[in-house]
Amino acid sequence: MGRQFDIIAKVGDEQAFRQEIRDWLAASIPAGWRQQWQAVRESELKAIVVEWLEKRREVGLATPHWPREWGGPGLPFAYQIMVYEEFARADAPELDMFTISLFHTPATLFEHGTQAQKDRYLGGITHGTDIWCQGFSEPGAGSDLASLRTSAKREGDHYLVNGQKIWSSAAMHADYCLLLARTDPNGPRKHDGISYFIMDMKSPGVEVRPIRQITGEAEFAEIFLDDVKIPAENLIGAEGNGWHIAQSTLSTERGLLIFGAVERLARSFELDGKEARQGWMRDVQMRREYAAFHAELQSLRLMIRKLLIELEANPDKASPTLPTYIKLIWGPFLQRYTEFLIRAEGIDALKWQPSIPGTGHSSRLRMNDFLKSYGWTIAGGSNEIMRNIISERILGLPRG
Amino acid sequence: MSDEFDPDVLSESFAEMLGAEWPREKSVTWSQEPGLFAEPLWQQMSELGWAALTVPEDHGGLGLDLGCSALLHSALGAAAAPVPMLGSTLATALLSAAGNDEQKACLLPQIADGSLRCAVAQPCDMAANIDNGTISAVFRNMIDAPAANMLFLRATLNAANCWVMISRDTEGVTVSEEALTDATRTMGAVTLDNVTVDAAAIITAADANALDDHLLRIASVAIAADAIGGGEAVLAVTIDYLKTREQFGRLIGSFQALKHRAADHQAALVAARGLVEHAASLADDSPGALLDALSAKQHVTRIVAEIARDCIQLHGGVGFTAEFPPHIYLKRAKLNEVLYGTRVDLLDHIADMLEAA
Repeated sequence: MGRQFDIIAKVGDEQAFRQEIRDWLAASIPAGWRQQWQAVRESELKAIVVEWLEKRREVGLATPHWPREWGGPGLPFAYQIMVYEEFARADAPELDMFTISLFHTPATLFEHGTQAQKDRYLGGITHGTDIWCQGFSEPGAGSDLASLRTSAKREGDHYLVNGQKIWSSAAMHADYCLLLARTDPNGPRKHDGISYFIMDMKSPGVEVRPIRQITGEAEFAEIFLDDVKIPAENLIGAEGNGWHIAQSTLSTERGLLIFGAVERLARSFELDGKEARQGWMRDVQMRREYAAFHAELQSLRLMIRKLLIELEANPDKASPTLPTYIKLIWGPFLQRYTEFLIRAEGIDALKWQPSIPGTGHSSRLRMNDFLKSYGWTIAGGSNEIMRNIISERILGLPRG
Repeated sequence: MSDEFDPDVLSESFAEMLGAEWPREKSVTWSQEPGLFAEPLWQQMSELGWAALTVPEDHGGLGLDLGCSALLHSALGAAAAPVPMLGSTLATALLSAAGNDEQKACLLPQIADGSLRCAVAQPCDMAANIDNGTISAVFRNMIDAPAANMLFLRATLNAANCWVMISRDTEGVTVSEEALTDATRTMGAVTLDNVTVDAAAIITAADANALDDHLLRIASVAIAADAIGGGEAVLAVTIDYLKTREQFGRLIGSFQALKHRAADHQAALVAARGLVEHAASLADDSPGALLDALSAKQHVTRIVAEIARDCIQLHGGVGFTAEFPPHIYLKRAKLNEVLYGTRVDLLDHIADMLEAA
């Protein structure tokens, strides 16, 4: 083993902080991790991701965005941004399956959970490897989430839950689920009567079926709930207040995840042009198409930086419109750029390869990245919903 | 950006004046019977110090930076104002970067007070040879020339590149106008027939390539700024129309087939504005300053031309009439797309820079 690293101690000196991360990343990212992760079976994926999470934990970077009161390093936001930037630049593996555990669960529990809930569940994330998933969408409630029908009926000291959830990332690996269910079917508006629960995924009546995606992998699952008993103390916040809580914690990743994704693509974009120097970059038309993407990539990076700067200055006063614009632009941009690479590289780009977990949207397997880009245009409010929001709420056009 | 000038305040004052002095009706009227430039508007602008914006303070200017200049060009683009401001911005940059003390002292104050209206050659324009102190040549497609009274032309002297400044009323100079579809700007062929060029009229840069890059950067930012202003204005006009026009008993803006396009345009413009602001904020010598300016220019002029095109369609029948403003913006946008470097030229240049990085 080489030297000891103390990244957190470098806070206050940006250059030293960056350098320490770079040195640590150079010493710690497993050589050939892409091949290794690509070859791993889905059932063994968690173990290999946890190994990386533990490595990060040793230097306090398992949860770089956590404040001290959550048990995190309490990094200033500017330093959190640097962490994401350096990780993207070094092509460090991502912790996709821990997204809910590391972002949404702590945000929800710290804001709305009881002391008992915090004591019981947060340790498993801070010091352990608990995986959380989200049980929000349903087959009949996608873009129109508030129409969800999974029911939770109070019966003495527990709720009896029946229904079906879908698009739950990492549910097949999950220990717990943040569940939205309807406790009052007679609320005045469909947003009323929804409650927010912690559900143990090992509860009897919970069945998880992975969803095979167009990329070949299965990152999501359906969750079937058949007379599942959730103890009443697992209710988060007040009964019927679930919609409000879900809204307030949906955006807890504060732009950091999309920032990481775009920085990762920026690194990939640079490599794409360099590696094609003797290939499609010699074709004048392809070269121009490539050059045109530079502006779009820059404009996205600028928008995200602007958002991060606003958030840093005042998390409550950041532009509410910017994230919507970013979402609407980033997905289609990614789709067009990855599609361009397929055209540029020809038939080689169309050969089937297993996806590489941990590479986000820049696995650099062209067809996989292209197919996966739909994750940004459909998930988290489809882009058609974004267009409704922009045209109606921002531009003031009449509702249809 | 200078501390005394809040960019928002500056933008507001530009928009307020142009809104009052160059409202949409004037713009529509002008498009049908254009002149060379809107003289009263130019005079008012000059009195307000707009022509002096980037002129250094010791030459009668305000000494503001490219960021402020971009705000002005954006406001002029939004108003589709027929004034030769781009020439002033470029001539100021040219003289400030490469003019000698006498040239600066003589010309910059005249640019600042608006008495000089400048036409500055594009990168693609020919360079004429100065032979025995005279030039005989025809410069085709010289942008702004008919509206200008001072021409800045590319030349060569003893096989080295330089610029010459030639007053429009010099003996042997003729400018024949070639009408543009964009009625807010002018273009013409400049003929020099044995025109005498004395040493005081020659601008020689220490590094001619660096000067070209500098001017290309300023032009790219100014045109991108003009484009984004125009794009925002034409979308705003169109959204207003979508909120008032009824068909099938409903406001047409309620149809997703239309409103979703408006949303896409809006998002694209927000992203594009960020690109222009960033390109304008960089110091000339900062890494990526030229790359980001060219990227902004090629991208913003392209998407704005596309948005203006769609705004005619979103207006339906009235969009096809000269009475409604979208065509004014479309024509200005199409000219912006090719001015000071076509998109293809710029993309090749950008690709070179990306490869060299």
